[in-house]
Amino acid sequence: MGIIKSLITGLHSLFHKRRIESELDDELAAFAEAAASDNQRRGMSPEHARRAALLQTGSRNAVKHQVWSSRWESSLESLLHDLRIGIRGLLKTPAFTIVALASLALGIGANTAIFTLINAVLLRPLPVSHPEQLYLFGKGSWVGSVDDMPNRPWQLFSYPFFKDFSAQTRPFSGIAAQSSIQMGSHIVLGGGAAEQVHIDLVSGSYFNVLEVPPALGRLIGESDDGAPGAGPVAVASWGWFQRHFQGNPGAIGRSVHIQGHDYTIIGVAKPGFTGLAPADPADLWIPLSMQKEISPGWNGLDDYKFQSLYLVGRLKPGMPLTQAAESATLLLRQLVRSEFLGGAGSQDDLARLQRARIDLVSASGGLPGLKLRYTAPLTVLMGIVALVLLIACANIANMLLARGVARARELAVRQALGATRRRIVVQLLTESFLLAGLGAALGTLLAFRGLQLLLALDTQGTRSMPLLDLSPDHRVLGFTLLVTVLTALLFGIAPALRSTRIDLTPTLRDGRGASSASSRGALSRSLIVGQIALSILLLAASGLFLRSLRNLTRVDLGFDPRNVTVFSLDEYSANLPLDARLTQLQQQIEQKVQSLPGVQSAAFSMFTFNQGAWSSPMTAQNVTPNTLNSDDVLYNVIGTQYLQTASIPLLSGRNFTAQDNATSPHVAIVNETLARTFFPNESALGHHVCICDPNAHGQKLDFDIEIIGVVRDAKYMRIGEGQHMAAYFPYSQRVQYFGNFSVKSTVLAASLIPAVRRIIAEVNPQITVAKAEPLSAQVESSIATQRLIGWLSAFFASLAVFLAAIGTYGLISYSVARRTSEIGVRMALGAQAPALLWMVLRESLTLLLAGLLIGIPVSLGIAKGLTSFLQTELFHVSATDPVAFLTASVVVSVMTFAAAWLPARRATKVDPLIALRCE
Amino acid sequence: MPKQEANGDLVQGTLEMLILKTLALEPMHGYGVALRIEQISGGVFRVNAGSLLPALSRMERAGNVKSEWRSTENNRRAKYYGLTPKGRKALATETEQWERRTAAIARILEA
Repeated sequence: MGIIKSLITGLHSLFHKRRIESELDDELAAFAEAAASDNQRRGMSPEHARRAALLQTGSRNAVKHQVWSSRWESSLESLLHDLRIGIRGLLKTPAFTIVALASLALGIGANTAIFTLINAVLLRPLPVSHPEQLYLFGKGSWVGSVDDMPNRPWQLFSYPFFKDFSAQTRPFSGIAAQSSIQMGSHIVLGGGAAEQVHIDLVSGSYFNVLEVPPALGRLIGESDDGAPGAGPVAVASWGWFQRHFQGNPGAIGRSVHIQGHDYTIIGVAKPGFTGLAPADPADLWIPLSMQKEISPGWNGLDDYKFQSLYLVGRLKPGMPLTQAAESATLLLRQLVRSEFLGGAGSQDDLARLQRARIDLVSASGGLPGLKLRYTAPLTVLMGIVALVLLIACANIANMLLARGVARARELAVRQALGATRRRIVVQLLTESFLLAGLGAALGTLLAFRGLQLLLALDTQGTRSMPLLDLSPDHRVLGFTLLVTVLTALLFGIAPALRSTRIDLTPTLRDGRGASSASSRGALSRSLIVGQIALSILLLAASGLFLRSLRNLTRVDLGFDPRNVTVFSLDEYSANLPLDARLTQLQQQIEQKVQSLPGVQSAAFSMFTFNQGAWSSPMTAQNVTPNTLNSDDVLYNVIGTQYLQTASIPLLSGRNFTAQDNATSPHVAIVNETLARTFFPNESALGHHVCICDPNAHGQKLDFDIEIIGVVRDAKYMRIGEGQHMAAYFPYSQRVQYFGNFSVKSTVLAASLIPAVRRIIAEVNPQITVAKAEPLSAQVESSIATQRLIGWLSAFFASLAVFLAAIGTYGLISYSVARRTSEIGVRMALGAQAPALLWMVLRESLTLLLAGLLIGIPVSLGIAKGLTSFLQTELFHVSATDPVAFLTASVVVSVMTFAAAWLPARRATKVDPLIALRCE
Repeated sequence: MPKQEANGDLVQGTLEMLILKTLALEPMHGYGVALRIEQISGGVFRVNAGSLLPALSRMERAGNVKSEWRSTENNRRAKYYGLTPKGRKALATETEQWERRTAAIARILEA
């Protein structure tokens, strides 16, 4: 009989237990009868024989029990039995059940939620075959270069490099390339409204290397990625295809209009595949051959120095990683030597070349961009929720201990009746698992509802999180299961062992477990001390994050985001060449909007706050380059009213005017830091500079730009950044397409936005305005992650303190209840209320003191140990910030005191007569 | 009744082997098995219902014996147990193991 058959018979007998039992009864009767007749045969009287036979058969119930427990289904039955008892017990104590389930649901739910995020951002592999074979060249940090020859590990590569690599590397079965330049592209579909789409520019080898099959049509191949401009085709992602064409295969062959060019949709990638960065899903893939059309101004397919591509290679099976990296590095050096140094190169260049290398980083989860940004915050949050769960466990363990004492008599009776200790421990653990299981179920629901809510809030307001696939998978479910089991064991084992280790006689006699109460006291006291210590740690951590957040919101931005609305638009679609006609169009829009009632100023700019930067070194005429002024300068190209719009005050010199045009001398406005760095002892006005590397040799420097103004410093990319050197150029002298149009106005956004849209449509109906948002929202969203961490950690820390307070309250209440008669005696003997109050409070103050004495040094120690890690997350707050730690201690003290005060006051209200009588 | 010697302390698993051996001759009901074991062992082993029936139930689960209700010689109904082919094989291997083991123990005791 196989296992399955045994399972079937087992279940069968479980469900037909009555029949099986009656059959056993029959068999036993037959057994006794046979024995009796046998005895009679040996000469006993019938009466005698029957009695001897019954003696031989033994207790009918005992035999039945033995037969029953020799079968596996008996353990299932006793499990069901235990579950029934457990449910009954939980229903009998609703207060305990509700508190325990609520804290478990919150604890396990929080862990599941954060783990779901970690899973989506850090763990989930790309939905391609054998993702573990994929390796990224370099670490994928956003270090691009358009002219330098990097001497450090290379991160991004030029198209010719990619071609050479593809042709020559043997360790890889194929190499895919994707542009790292992110363009907010707008597309128009068959006469409909414009919308923003995410486009990935990819090499012809991309889908082949990733082994992604088409769901419909065909995917981009080598033939699409031939000569520049040769592949006006697009592959749609499954999601985008569903949104726009509802899965209609007739969409293949239709065309989409992107920045003045038409692209034919040739196919749809398989469902689930959204590109190399799942958190930043692609809507369309277009061959790299169309780079010039998709990102005019930022292209260079034939330029070895235009390093902008991510390269992802598929390692051949069995190929050691180190060997592949060595071979790639060797090839890189050869290529650099021949392309950059003309095959020769000075001693110095060759030395620098020896430092150039390629690190291969696993790309099984996609490009690491998001991971770099979210690893630290998510780790912090995971640590916090784990501690919260630990506190919840301590709390429930404490409540179970109290329950164990209350049930001491029941357990003692069962043990006296012959239940083994193991059997009772199993039963108590079953209850714990029941509790943890129910808590986990509630918590999982809570986690997914909570995450949905968080994402919904997030997409409404300022986006702090990328688009993530948060659906639970086997990893999340496994994690939750593991956490549930660990939780049940953590809070269940000690109380179960403790409450079965009973001295039976006094327990049965007394019924209140006085003898075991003291040892329970020691365990639950240490649990309370632990909770207090952990609460301090959590409160201090959230204090650090909140103070850092407060510092961030108080930073002087150097510009005023109030009343400024930023329109993001797409001028490429105007179909104008890069010349005076474009400048005219921009000036026309600016003037018309400026003349709107209530509008103070309006201007185009290359960047507004937190949108990235164009940076490279600057050199000034007659200024010796040094380490300070060789740093990168951040450049912005702006309209004449941009500085007024952003309220960046002019300190000296003049602003750009209409007279600064394409034919007049080139001018620039710089910030204080740049002026001070380059010209420490004199005014910067009138100096000539150029955008060029002071250390580049063999280049004739043309100092063609004159500094005409100095403005105050501002924050450009992040609130937390230091002071950067910055310079502004007028767009009339640097013609380009813009994506940002800022308007400062006191008019309500609801009437301003349509008015501006109308004007832009009047000037050129081709230009599409994708969205308009307040500049303040851009500032807000730049610290959204910090805000999220700050508030989440504060929420969890409050939860922890609250749980710890409940624990203290429970313990002190219990001890007051237990000492009712003692208190009654004391009162009868004349003790005053304050003395009694103190007697009760003393107990909790001892616990508090122990908690503080352990919690503060441990938290400080942890903060010190994590200093380097925390420093990247904290802004102008030391990891051992005294205010945060002091506040944490005070809050915990007040909460503990309050939790002890309530039962202590009850102790003073005890009526001595009643107290004495109840004994 | 013969005097009892070391009653019942059957080595774990030995009871099942004895039952198998007893049933190898012919199908029997529970009391029959107990009686046969007691008689053949000369009263050394007395198996009561409390250990016999669980053992039979276990063996039935394991597929070594099968049971059916039949009427007895004096026209009562009783559950008769018989060996299955699998039980026959189990008896052979267990007997062989047992002999090897006792022989080894005997050698040690004689040494």
